[in-house]
Amino acid sequence: MGTLPQLVEEDIRQLDDTLHELLTRSDATTALVIDKAGFLITHVGGRRHFDLTSIAALASGAYAANQTIARLVREENFSSIYQQGQKYSILATNVDEHCLLVTIFKATVSVGAVKYFAAPTCARIAEQMKIAHAREPAAGLDLSALNLVDPSAIFKRRA
Amino acid sequence: MAIINQATRELQVKIVYYGPAMGGKTTNLFQVHDHVQTAAGNKGKLVSLATSSDRTLFFDFLPIEALAIKGYRTKFQLYTVPGQVIYNTTRQLVLRGVDGLVFVADSQFEKMAENVESFVNLEENLKCLKLDLAEIPYVLQYNKRDLPNAAPIEYMEFLLNNREVQVPSFASVAHKCEGVFETLNMITRLLLNKFVAQSTPQYA
Repeated sequence: MGTLPQLVEEDIRQLDDTLHELLTRSDATTALVIDKAGFLITHVGGRRHFDLTSIAALASGAYAANQTIARLVREENFSSIYQQGQKYSILATNVDEHCLLVTIFKATVSVGAVKYFAAPTCARIAEQMKIAHAREPAAGLDLSALNLVDPSAIFKRRA
Repeated sequence: MAIINQATRELQVKIVYYGPAMGGKTTNLFQVHDHVQTAAGNKGKLVSLATSSDRTLFFDFLPIEALAIKGYRTKFQLYTVPGQVIYNTTRQLVLRGVDGLVFVADSQFEKMAENVESFVNLEENLKCLKLDLAEIPYVLQYNKRDLPNAAPIEYMEFLLNNREVQVPSFASVAHKCEGVFETLNMITRLLLNKFVAQSTPQYA
């Protein structure tokens, strides 16, 4: 599995600040940084309104599927998908090899503005993730602290 | 690849249920969803992207949190792949970032060729993603043991678990939830042990 990308508080703070700035500038509702495997890394806004865990999993799948479709029609330049809604729209933008930025915004908000402000946001996220990926695994977290209580029955069946 | 968020003390891990069509992958997830014991609010919503006839089209997705790990909120994201041969591209997409695998084999005699074909397909798809099955924790589940035409376990072991290193395998009847939690607990255990082992500092 190689090195694990470990995100320390500074990473999350930087990412959250970047997302806050995106929301302020673009008037979007919610911004998420997600891993392309479907994990939600961090988010700003909208937790009460949306099931962000499911959105992260589905957005990564949708992005991957559309990227594959683009390749099938020999499209080399693929970096975002846009779902136009009547209430909320969603823009998923490529950050780097591992991450996506997902921005949820009201249908009344201009997608052009969201795209415009998402571009520098992606660059800043990519920079921070680069720092996180480069970090020595031992410098972050000792997973032996996980302290498995009873690894033979991590999930218990309801009686 | 697993994500560790030290700020929120969260570990996120992706487990993919793989195997031939109609083998019981989705049933495993439904049974986990229906029967898992969780603290209030910890059980995620089961998302199923299926066709009108309930065949998996893209994937099923179930996020669950473990009770038994102190110090960190450990979130397991369970995925299934579509088993039908035509959906191979989709299977590759779902495998992206996988940490652990459950191979759900169909125990019926007439499904043995499909089991083997699916297993070979798994290895090929992992190779496409520059992953090696030998380096990924996985377990085997021999499902549908209640059917009269089920092949002997020994035969299935010979077909699917006949490698240098044998992996844990479980007999199951997924629709009755038999063997489902045993399988899930073993793959999570293998994964967590691997994470702990690889994070242990090495001293010269």
